[in-house]
Amino acid sequence: MHVLLIEDDTEAARFLVKGLRESGYSVDHAADGREGLFRATEGQFDLVVTDRMLPHIDGLAIIELMRRKGIATPVLVLSALGSVDDRIRGLKAGGDDYLTKPFAFAELLARIEALLRRHSSSTQTTRLKVEDLEFDLLARRVTRGGREVELTARELKLLEFLMRRAGQVVTRTMLLEGVWDLHFDPQSNLIDVHISRLRQAIDRGTDHPLIHTVRGSGYVLRSEA
Amino acid sequence: MRLDLINTTAFRLSVGYTLLVTLAVAVTLGSAYLLTESLITDEVDLIIDSELKSLEEKYARSGLPGVTDEINLRIDSWGRIGAVYMVADSNFERIAGNVTNWPFDGMPTEARPEFEIATIEPGRRAVHPVRAAVRTLPGGDLLLVGTDISQGRRFAEKFRFATLWGIGLSTLAAALAGFWFSYRLARRVDEVTRTCQRIMAGDLGSRLPVAGAKDEFDSLARSVNRVLDRLEEQAGTLRATFDSAAHDLRAPLHRLRTRMDALLLRAPPLEPAVHESVESALHEVDRLQRTLGTLLQIALAESGTPLAAPAAVEVGELAAELVELFEPVAGSQGVALACRHEPQALVQGNRQLLAQLLTNLIENGLKYVPRGGAIEVVVQRLSDCVRLTVSDNGPGIAADDRARAVQPFVRIGHGKQEGSGLGLSLVAAIARLHRGRLQLESNEPGLRVVVDLPF
Repeated sequence: MHVLLIEDDTEAARFLVKGLRESGYSVDHAADGREGLFRATEGQFDLVVTDRMLPHIDGLAIIELMRRKGIATPVLVLSALGSVDDRIRGLKAGGDDYLTKPFAFAELLARIEALLRRHSSSTQTTRLKVEDLEFDLLARRVTRGGREVELTARELKLLEFLMRRAGQVVTRTMLLEGVWDLHFDPQSNLIDVHISRLRQAIDRGTDHPLIHTVRGSGYVLRSEA
Repeated sequence: MRLDLINTTAFRLSVGYTLLVTLAVAVTLGSAYLLTESLITDEVDLIIDSELKSLEEKYARSGLPGVTDEINLRIDSWGRIGAVYMVADSNFERIAGNVTNWPFDGMPTEARPEFEIATIEPGRRAVHPVRAAVRTLPGGDLLLVGTDISQGRRFAEKFRFATLWGIGLSTLAAALAGFWFSYRLARRVDEVTRTCQRIMAGDLGSRLPVAGAKDEFDSLARSVNRVLDRLEEQAGTLRATFDSAAHDLRAPLHRLRTRMDALLLRAPPLEPAVHESVESALHEVDRLQRTLGTLLQIALAESGTPLAAPAAVEVGELAAELVELFEPVAGSQGVALACRHEPQALVQGNRQLLAQLLTNLIENGLKYVPRGGAIEVVVQRLSDCVRLTVSDNGPGIAADDRARAVQPFVRIGHGKQEGSGLGLSLVAAIARLHRGRLQLESNEPGLRVVVDLPF
């Protein structure tokens, strides 16, 4: 997977490039807006990660110009401007996701992974299946090993979010955004409690749990093979 | 918004103005009418008196025959037009004159009695009003001198007719002018009001319309527009300042965090003790970032920077969702968290900020309410706003501290509680941004926070 990082803060960029390479991505770095725009429109990338405020050409302008040229490569916007309005502007300009600085590197990794997967598999499914856990999306019914699992509407949404990203690390922030549509971090460990309730319903009484905690990052739903 | 003309000052003024015009015209024309009328009768009376005087003198000189001769002469000659004479004996029998019968029942009591005589004029019968005076001559006979006043009457009638039409028409004209004037005035004021509402709703680029009439409204509009230009410019500057402050503070925090992250992810893992202290330092960085974010959010909201994309937010449903989100945490703390909401509690605003407001209030409750306590979130739809109430039965805030509690960095009560001291400040700022009102009250016991958000 080939990622273009457009970031003028060279020190931060150095760490990000290193971290992403260690995580198995091949990374190109552009240090200003002009170079970034040139690389983004000329090169073949699977994903562009761009800073919001850049010398010469603003991050949002780069996205707009990319989209105008018909380049659909997913873009993750990094910004030191953290207001809600700014986020809306970033997504309106055509960005696919938005992350406010400073962020945890694990958060960035999880979001990059989510964007790459979303891009490759956006097919219409009516049924999700992970091992013996089945989710009938039309009937909103969940069974584990053929036995029906009773879940609330919100728990169903939470489970759907996890199952659609089976095998991927999902952070608490991603869950708050995707399941509750909340783009800020409440202080309490809300998500942990909701996940543990879901876990109770899904994994209790089985010898191979599907929902796993990833230390320092979040959660993942996968069959432990 | 419909123009409510009746309740405008201009309309009331023009109603008053119309009444004043009507009164002025009525007084002017009415007194002119009365004056003219009395002038006409005075003139008639003067003529009658002078004729009576000359006929009485004639009587004194040459007795009754002299008077009758004189009367006959006056009737036959081209004398005064409309003159009426009669000499009658004490039994009211005609001796001479151009009236056939004594027109009164005996002696008239008034000084200037009026009566009517019928005359045969070519082709028609006419009735003429006559104003007269009667004298008893020294010999006991009666002398009557009168004047046909039909001309004067007709004139007075026409004058009255003209007066009434004059009053009516000028009232109508004043009313129409007043209505037009108040309508135009109300419309221009309404335009100003509407523009101001648009600006308050966040459209800082809106300007008052300038009609180009060079009137006081245009000069007012121009002045207000200049103020708005300044405000917009300042909001822009402020925003740019916040953006660069945010950038300049977040960027080093970001580098710090990235370095620490890199340390934790290093290939040969750190010693457990070092790992732990790096992690706790990371935790502090996150706290710092959160405080900084909240401060910037408060500052932005307080600067009056409008909402970028206000949308209809169902506050009731939002509250229910957040209560559902927090319910497990509350349950684990032994606190009952419940929500009641009325349907259609819609507010134009920013869903994320309103969610943040609710989150802060609920988190605040969870921080202070002891095990076994309860927090209730209620959303009501009032006549002009949506009322959001978060009440608990915790320790509450003393009346004296309530005003202070919404100020930044003020923590009330037990110092042991963790928190930035910015939660309620942000709530207040978000409420203000939505043109709302925040009030802290006693829930007897506990705290009740009431936020009124206008539609």
